[in-house]
Amino acid sequence: MRKLIEFIRSIYVVVLFVVLEVSAVSYYAHSSAYTQARLLARSNQWSGGIRSFFGGIRRYFLLGGENRVLLDRITQFEERLARYEEVVAAARLDSCLQSLGESKFSYRVASVASNSINRQQNLITLNRGRNAGIQPDMSVLTPDGAMVGYVVDCTDRYAVAMSVLNTSFRASGKLADSDYLGSIYWDGLDPHVVILGELSKYAEPHPGDEVVTTGFSEYFPEGVRIGWVESAELDPMRTSYTVRVRLAAEMSRLTDVIVVENRDLNEIRALQQSELIEQHTRM
Amino acid sequence: MYRTLPYIALFAATMLLQVFLFDNLSISVYLNPLIYMAFIVLLPLDTPPVVLLGAGLLTGVAMDAAMGTAGINTIATLPVAFARPMLLNLLCGRDSIREGGVPSSERLGRRKFIDYLVIVILLHHTLFFLLEALSWEHLLHTVIRIVVSSLVTLAFVWIIARVFTVKLSVRV
Repeated sequence: MRKLIEFIRSIYVVVLFVVLEVSAVSYYAHSSAYTQARLLARSNQWSGGIRSFFGGIRRYFLLGGENRVLLDRITQFEERLARYEEVVAAARLDSCLQSLGESKFSYRVASVASNSINRQQNLITLNRGRNAGIQPDMSVLTPDGAMVGYVVDCTDRYAVAMSVLNTSFRASGKLADSDYLGSIYWDGLDPHVVILGELSKYAEPHPGDEVVTTGFSEYFPEGVRIGWVESAELDPMRTSYTVRVRLAAEMSRLTDVIVVENRDLNEIRALQQSELIEQHTRM
Repeated sequence: MYRTLPYIALFAATMLLQVFLFDNLSISVYLNPLIYMAFIVLLPLDTPPVVLLGAGLLTGVAMDAAMGTAGINTIATLPVAFARPMLLNLLCGRDSIREGGVPSSERLGRRKFIDYLVIVILLHHTLFFLLEALSWEHLLHTVIRIVVSSLVTLAFVWIIARVFTVKLSVRV
């Protein structure tokens, strides 16, 4: 009798284990990069404060380098500004200023509350959320304008962005001086290198060539720097190149980022989903 | 359950260490130590299997929420919690387990304790990193991640075990 009870007890634990494990596996199987980001965004509600605190300590030690980068950037802008002022002064063309007026993109700054590079699905937590006007689908750049990722989900005070170092990340990229497209993704191996795949065989990538985003991506403005070609190889079918691209953004030292909103995004999406277009494609 | 308080402290300490220190170690893709294992490893020898499973579920779910990994930690932690009693039975026999107490190098012997740690941590990390990669494509890469992270976790769990048991003997 005792043995029977013992047996039932041991079986009961096994059954409990199997049920728990199966439910965990099925939850994982039904998850996507988006549910993971949502999970992190929710848990940030209470752990975000402490994360920001530690992020703040890290930031303090990187301030020097950050400052230099910003100064460089400012001098570049000063130079560009001077050029525009020259144009204005010389030609006194009002139209020149008007066309510069309202840009399609608007820029905000945010700090990184937490970031990782050692997983396959790396996500970045930013310390600004809906209250600061951050919304999903905005792109995230480093202060010197290199691609980092795009915002996936946000709460009122925090946002979670998909890092370029995430195997679910997709964007489109091209060589800076040509118009052949390829898709940018990470193969999960090296946190300094991403892959530019499916690049046309006529593109002729050379090591050191600059790789930038195309204007076709919904997230990124055109011409955002991604990195430089490190090596390229033709695939066995000899139809396209797979290019290894050294990232311009130093992902392990990310502290402050620029968040870019595409003001026309909703308009473009609405247009793409409009009934007229649907009618024509159906025919 | 006369040591509930120290165990609550251990749980909190391992969670905080994992989330706020080890998850932010952006040193290398290969290094992702999961030291929260220490909590499961150090539960008393005579813990009932059901309680072990419950503890495994709790740590797994807590870490999944904190890391934003949808279930990997739970999937990896549950089998460890489930297999622990059998493993200890194999390693040091039924008698010493019935005595109870915290698993430590003094109680199990240094050799056996390290064997126990290695097996538990390897099992956990293998499951975790295989699930995270979810493909056989870069198998070598995944294996390196498992080995490097396991070694670092092993070192830290060893230290945590030391600190935990020393503190107890002073208090008792």
